[in-house]
Amino acid sequence: MSNEHTVKSYEEELQFLKDSLIKMGSLTESQLSDAMDAVIKVDKDSIDKIIKSDEEINKFRSKIDTQIMNLLVKRAPMAIDLRETISSLKISQDLERIGDLSKSNAKKVKPLPLDLPDELLGNLKRLGELVMKQLNDVLDSYVNKNFDKAKEVWEKDEQVDDLTYIAMESVIDFLSKDKKNLDFSTHLIFATKNLERAGDHITNIAETVCYLVKGEYLKGSRPKGKVIHE
Amino acid sequence: MSNIKIKSKNLDVFYGDKQALFDVNLDLNEKEVTALIGPSGCGKSTFIRCINRMNDVIDICKVTGNIEMDGMDINDKNLDVVALREKVGMVFQKPNPFPKSIYDNISYGPKIHGKGETKSELDEIVENSLRKSALWEEVKDRLDEPGTSLSGGQQQRLCIARAISVNPEVILMDEPCSALDPIATAKIEELIDELKKTYTIVIVTHSMAQAVRVSQKTGFFHLGKLIEVGKTEKVFKNPDNKMTQDYITGRFG
Repeated sequence: MSNEHTVKSYEEELQFLKDSLIKMGSLTESQLSDAMDAVIKVDKDSIDKIIKSDEEINKFRSKIDTQIMNLLVKRAPMAIDLRETISSLKISQDLERIGDLSKSNAKKVKPLPLDLPDELLGNLKRLGELVMKQLNDVLDSYVNKNFDKAKEVWEKDEQVDDLTYIAMESVIDFLSKDKKNLDFSTHLIFATKNLERAGDHITNIAETVCYLVKGEYLKGSRPKGKVIHE
Repeated sequence: MSNIKIKSKNLDVFYGDKQALFDVNLDLNEKEVTALIGPSGCGKSTFIRCINRMNDVIDICKVTGNIEMDGMDINDKNLDVVALREKVGMVFQKPNPFPKSIYDNISYGPKIHGKGETKSELDEIVENSLRKSALWEEVKDRLDEPGTSLSGGQQQRLCIARAISVNPEVILMDEPCSALDPIATAKIEELIDELKKTYTIVIVTHSMAQAVRVSQKTGFFHLGKLIEVGKTEKVFKNPDNKMTQDYITGRFG
């Protein structure tokens, strides 16, 4: 934005809101990445730290809520400022949900045996990496107000669906080999599903960024990958 | 689709050497509220004063281009300006009731326009106008009291009643709420909502929130030019023009 607000404190409040959201975004990124690592490495020591970082994310969410309420009451934002304010509200909700899913994944590590075969975790790892890349890209698109990049993320969720399907297949395959795998395999299935749902929140954010930049919602339905039976 | 009630084409207005409006092309839809916004001196009041030829009273004012109401050329030299102003009522920033009774404030217009010949006809016009302007219940027992004895908000509704007493088609409002408190403002806005079922309304306002609340169409003026006009919702959520965006978001230096 080339022009600044005539009222300096308004400018500062909007900037403060954007900064808070960016910080919340990077916190969500590290939490997602830590939770993924914990699952892949079956690292039980990091569980508490991940749960704790979720509290941080939740605090950001309520801080952002307050900032938005104040902006709406004090400034009655219009046009781009209105879209910026409302988008922050929506994006912070999606980030918080991604945080919850990461926390849930960290909790899934507890019952996992330490000697899980590599081929079982390989597909889950690929899925996790893709979801992390998606989150990173969508946050970049927010920071740079990049419509095309946001749309790319939105379209790429199809790949998340496909990888989820593949990761699920390998868990089910493993499970079918031996019934005693049932207990922890269920946890792996949930962890996979959580990643897929995190991907959905990321596409929500991508849609919000598109609206923020252009003032119009994306038209048509998003390309979908293989459907997983629920 | 709404019909176009008033249409301006290539409208220019000059006050002596100074040009106040540049090539304004603006359509006002029938039975809709159009809000005109823009910084002071941008030409929005000059524009609405073209609709009822109020600029005629300014000697150095010259209007060129075209402005029509229902296809009739408002600037036609042979046009009966009194008849035009019967069709196009106006309400100003500060309530300006006549120094007369509440009753006479309303009946004056119909009388000079030859409407309401008998007392009972006039009574009916007065009551109807006061009812339409949502003032009747508050003043029905004190119609003989001076209009100026009312509160600011009531005076403004009296002025609206006075404007509608001659059964106009268009009502021009030049910042009608800027001198009123929030409750009186809310009552006027409520009234505008009701009046738009019958009349075509143009409102000049400095309150963006008011423009959003009351209007269906918004035009943004800057330095005598109509910069952008469109559906109110679009203009305030996602304006096409950067200048509009800068103005409504408070980025104008």
